[in-house]
Amino acid sequence: MIIVYEELRKTVKIWLTYPLVLVFWTIFPIMWVIPFIFQGKAFVGALSSQAFADLTGTGQYIPFVIIGAVVSTYMFSALYGIGNAFREESYWGTLEYLIGSPASKGFILLGKALSEGIFSTFFALSQLLFAIFLFGVKITLTKILPILLIMSFLLLALYGLGIGLAGLTLLIKESRGIIHSLDDILYLFSPIRYPVEVNPITKFVSLFIPLTYALIAIRGILLLNKPFHLLITEMVALLLLDIGFLFFGFYTFNTLERKVRQTGTIGHH
Amino acid sequence: MIRHYLTAINAENIKEWKIEMSYLPDFIRSFIEPIVYVLPFVLYGIALVGGRNSPNLARLVGSGDIITYVVLGYIVMGFLNTACWGMGWSLRKEQWYGTIETIFAAPVPRWVYIAGMATHSTLHQGGMIGIQVIVIHLLFRIFFHTSGILPSLLLIGLMLIALYGMGMMVAALALIFKEGWIVSEILHSIISVVTPIAYPLSVLPVFLREIAKFMPTTYGVLGIRHFLMGERVFFTIPEAVFKLLLFGFVWVGFGITIFLLIDRKVRRDGTLGHY
Repeated sequence: MIIVYEELRKTVKIWLTYPLVLVFWTIFPIMWVIPFIFQGKAFVGALSSQAFADLTGTGQYIPFVIIGAVVSTYMFSALYGIGNAFREESYWGTLEYLIGSPASKGFILLGKALSEGIFSTFFALSQLLFAIFLFGVKITLTKILPILLIMSFLLLALYGLGIGLAGLTLLIKESRGIIHSLDDILYLFSPIRYPVEVNPITKFVSLFIPLTYALIAIRGILLLNKPFHLLITEMVALLLLDIGFLFFGFYTFNTLERKVRQTGTIGHH
Repeated sequence: MIRHYLTAINAENIKEWKIEMSYLPDFIRSFIEPIVYVLPFVLYGIALVGGRNSPNLARLVGSGDIITYVVLGYIVMGFLNTACWGMGWSLRKEQWYGTIETIFAAPVPRWVYIAGMATHSTLHQGGMIGIQVIVIHLLFRIFFHTSGILPSLLLIGLMLIALYGMGMMVAALALIFKEGWIVSEILHSIISVVTPIAYPLSVLPVFLREIAKFMPTTYGVLGIRHFLMGERVFFTIPEAVFKLLLFGFVWVGFGITIFLLIDRKVRRDGTLGHY
């Protein structure tokens, strides 16, 4: 637990060293939604679209994209925060110390994941407050508990992916490109910005992405007032993906970390 | 002297290509990414109107073809990446590589380095946009007036001058803020909201509409869509050319000034190599 705590303390210190970055993640993911809102106004001429409702069950495209933006904060955290964590250590010149220390790598990763989780939640809540203030998004307290449960399921899968990527970063070093591509792929094939049902290919690929089930469930609760028990299918799918992604993440990380230590390429750039 | 500078600019350009090609998957990705990036905007539009034609857009701008409208907007905005990322990110990258002190000690003025980065970014971005246009056309078929291509290229050229000025400023700010991506990202996000990329100016709130009139990208995007798909615009073409020339002059002057001031400051403070 000391390792986890120290990782957390280190992350807090780094975040506070770059306050502009902190402000950025609090505000900008919501700002990226604004073009979608203007686009909706231009194409539909109203705040609700019948064609959109036929696909999603709700014609209100503004809360649809805002929910996507807030939830995608966790995707960024998993991909860039955890996936790129060891690359950053490499830039700082601290990777060899970290890997060479007698601390368990699992706990180091846990520390990184926990730090990311805490900061992402802070960002997501701030964005939600902005959305409530700017766009009049309504959230009732009774809906928060099931949403928290869905989010925790989503986090497990996303952070599993992030841990796998962290291992890949150790091997190929400059993984920012791959992470960026994954970010684009997740944007394209999960219903963050638009209903994937609009195209058969995106609809099919989205079935393998945890964000799809989490977003369907969260939007179901918030926009369609669905009771939690009607979302069991999504929760089971999410749980199965959690198991798959966590297994993939830890297996990939352990295999690749062992490989780079054997080949002596940890310190390479 | 000019030949000496041109050699340095070309050397910088070649160096960037070599570095990028050392990371081949990343290099290939850079040509695929713009296609993947624009698709959610297109699919979102289709989901909103249930097809590719929007009667409301037709009423607002004179054409209801949402796919051509969105794609043309985002193609032009690709050049914003040149300023914000290609140029703006350049000095921070040198800091990472540990080569910034060596480059700054070279016997050429600072702008030569930035011009090299601009040359490279424009060539790379041009290639990316070319591939983006071909693939999107194959996927969705975009319809535009071929007679509008030449005047559109002229407007892009003028817009780029202003964006280069912006890029110089961003590159310099990265020397102070260190985490340069944040400056690039903030500027990129703000300009992307204010510029009528996938919507006409008329849907923006009044205060944003007024800010948009000071953005070179507004005249670039609207002017090009005017030539290629007949979008109704609030300015005449000579006005757009004049405004873009003016923005180019102001932004390049401003960018160089900020760059020189910050360059002097970080060298005086001894923080050039700091992280």
